[in-house]
Amino acid sequence: MAMFVLRRLAAGLVLVFVITTIAYTLIYSTAGGIARNIMGENATAEQVAAKEVELGLDQPLPVQYITWLTHALRGDFGSSWFTSQSVVDTISTRLPVTLSMVIVSMLVITIVSVVMGMVAAIKGGATDRVLQVLSVVGFSLPNFWVALILVVVFSVGLGLLPATGYIPLTLSPVDWARSLILPVTALVVSGTASAAQQIRGAVTDVMQLDFVRTLKARGLSARSIQVQHVLRNAAPPALTVLSLQFIGLLGGAVVIEQVFAIPGMGTYTVSSALLGDIPSLMGIVVVMVVMVVIVNLIIDIMNGWLNPKARQQ
Amino acid sequence: MSSAPGRRRLGSLAALLVALLLALTGCGGTSLAENRGDPKTLTIAAVQDNNSFDTAQLQLGNNMQYWWPVYDTLIIVNAQAELEPGLATDWTYNDDETILTLNLRDDVVFSDGTAFTSAAVKANLEHLANGGGQFSYMAQGITEVVPVSDTIVELHLDRPDPGLLDALALIAGAMASPAALEDPSLATNPVGSGPYVYDAGASTVGSEYIYTRNPDYWNPQAYEFNTIVIRPMPEATAMLNALKTGQVDTGSIPISNVSEAENSGLRIDTTPVNWRGLIIADRAGAVVPALGDVRVRRAINMAFNKPVMVENVLYGQGEVTAQPFGVESQAYVPELDDAYPYDLDQARALMAEAGYADGFDVTMPNTSGFNYINPFVAQQLGDIGIRVHFEQVPANSLIPELLSGRFPMYFFSLGSQDAWGDFRKTLLPNSPWNTSKSDSPELAALIETVRYTEPGEERTAAMQDVNRWVVDQAWFAPFFRENTVLASNPRIELTPHAWLVATRIDDYHLAETN
Repeated sequence: MAMFVLRRLAAGLVLVFVITTIAYTLIYSTAGGIARNIMGENATAEQVAAKEVELGLDQPLPVQYITWLTHALRGDFGSSWFTSQSVVDTISTRLPVTLSMVIVSMLVITIVSVVMGMVAAIKGGATDRVLQVLSVVGFSLPNFWVALILVVVFSVGLGLLPATGYIPLTLSPVDWARSLILPVTALVVSGTASAAQQIRGAVTDVMQLDFVRTLKARGLSARSIQVQHVLRNAAPPALTVLSLQFIGLLGGAVVIEQVFAIPGMGTYTVSSALLGDIPSLMGIVVVMVVMVVIVNLIIDIMNGWLNPKARQQ
Repeated sequence: MSSAPGRRRLGSLAALLVALLLALTGCGGTSLAENRGDPKTLTIAAVQDNNSFDTAQLQLGNNMQYWWPVYDTLIIVNAQAELEPGLATDWTYNDDETILTLNLRDDVVFSDGTAFTSAAVKANLEHLANGGGQFSYMAQGITEVVPVSDTIVELHLDRPDPGLLDALALIAGAMASPAALEDPSLATNPVGSGPYVYDAGASTVGSEYIYTRNPDYWNPQAYEFNTIVIRPMPEATAMLNALKTGQVDTGSIPISNVSEAENSGLRIDTTPVNWRGLIIADRAGAVVPALGDVRVRRAINMAFNKPVMVENVLYGQGEVTAQPFGVESQAYVPELDDAYPYDLDQARALMAEAGYADGFDVTMPNTSGFNYINPFVAQQLGDIGIRVHFEQVPANSLIPELLSGRFPMYFFSLGSQDAWGDFRKTLLPNSPWNTSKSDSPELAALIETVRYTEPGEERTAAMQDVNRWVVDQAWFAPFFRENTVLASNPRIELTPHAWLVATRIDDYHLAETN
């Protein structure tokens, strides 16, 4: 198991290196004019040139990249070119916001999609068809549209929940939960529908295997078979689907945070991209890639724990 | 079939869920500000995030909202664009306007305990001039700052600067504690003498900026609110929803949202700060020879049906104009708004007279912020034979691309404040928005006349002569002055600023019905 984890970790590190290198090259290829944007319209050509030297933009791309990489390896991602804020400080305030939204969404997706998938696969018939229709409808609803409808109904119309903003859990657990209800709902509708379909398929496949029939013949209760045997055997593909959902939620958060004015990584990404704030963008890329690697590693470990064959691959 | 205990468990679970939901929603749509429990908290939604509190890096426009609460200025420009005493109680020029003497208040203390004196003025003006910020030019015309005594300071110039007093009411006048000027943390922790102090501990950068009353402020009665909260909300829909639900008290909304805001019971205030239209930059005809002919530039001005554009593009939220100066500018001439009425026949005749009866081709930038107007521009210029080709420019490259002078003509939006500041911004050979660096001895002479004319009616008349020349020579083709729209909770009253898109904090009040 240790070798398995080490192999996955090594692959993750390679992925981080490759993605950040590609991202750096792509982002810097559009860096022309950044110094002028920072210095503003009134700056002279000399002032703009001096700013380019100060930022290292006059250096060849490989030199700039190595400089950035050596700093990044020490945990120094620099400061925003536009706000002077430390990138690490900014990420440390914004990442918990996005993570709390995404983790709560993941919990909701996991619980609801497992229940829906199991019920659809086990009950079959009309229940299955109704849940399938619900899944298709949910999957086809864009999250930003769902978010806008939720705000119009529950915030503007009924005045039940806040339309915008985020309250940290440490400040007020109740307000924290209230600030997350609508964004999380908007985020999970599509993901739940998609995951439920996948889990239904996995459970249906397992239900048709010989060992399930054997267990039934041995007189085990239906619930025991479903939970202890079917669900466990259907778990690996479900886990893979859920890990993809987590990564999708990080992307979805970019849109949802805009709609709800939530100060997380999504709004940080949009504002940094619009400004061309390269230190911030690179910090975001690194954090996002590391998160994807960590999630995949956790899923791989769980798969390995559930399925010994996976450990030997 | 589920058992009775199972149904009971399900029932209990449902009851628990309902109780939890009721608890979570029980507070109704209360706002963050309301949660703080003080009706004298003003929550402002800002369309962009703060860039810096370092006085050398301050910006005009929407960013003023962030630094106005913490920094006093030497002179105040009020909502009507009139100059009033600020940290300077009064000021006088010498005869040839090369020395400005300011008398300073003697009862002002910065939030770090440092007293405000003439030495602070000197330190701040030098910090701005040498700080490399966007508005360093505001202090670069001052050759020397001479503290005469603690409460008297002289600003020496090598020649008159008709925009200096206005600059001292804006960024050049913003005073930070001299002890903090060289500290890099000034960018995130302002040390000023303004009516409020920034509460860095309670604020979350990028999300919520909180200011509390400065207990040592010299003019507390001018400011009604105990706490100011500024929340950056660049997404217009999010801001409108926050306004509708009372999460924020006021904010600047897009004109397309005005009717929805009105229908939601929000108060609407407007101020026509920005003009929008074409900057016909290539007045020498270096890239497109036709644009070097004033008849062609006039024809362009006549090709646009501006009243229809105001109605359809601005939803009526604007005024037709043909001059690049706002109504509160000293250079404003009312009759110039109608200098080029829509007249296709005359426009075509002018094109033919200039030898361009068959029109010509021109490349203009297309970018996400302004692409809504491009179909109008292409169609109406097409009516007089000008074939527009749009080149896609990424939004974050637009300003560098335009300033490079590569585009001979482009649609843009510029704010109009004090006339001299606008001259510096658009008309001088080295002005940033004179992007093709047009130079005219005639215009230069008119501007120098302004410089050496005594302040007052004569200088105002000289400024208007500059405007008349620019409109006559059709350096621009302005379409309209677009309203900046401020939507507010009815509990708030405000007076929009005549020059600026942001509203001064002392111009916000609680409505009398409160």
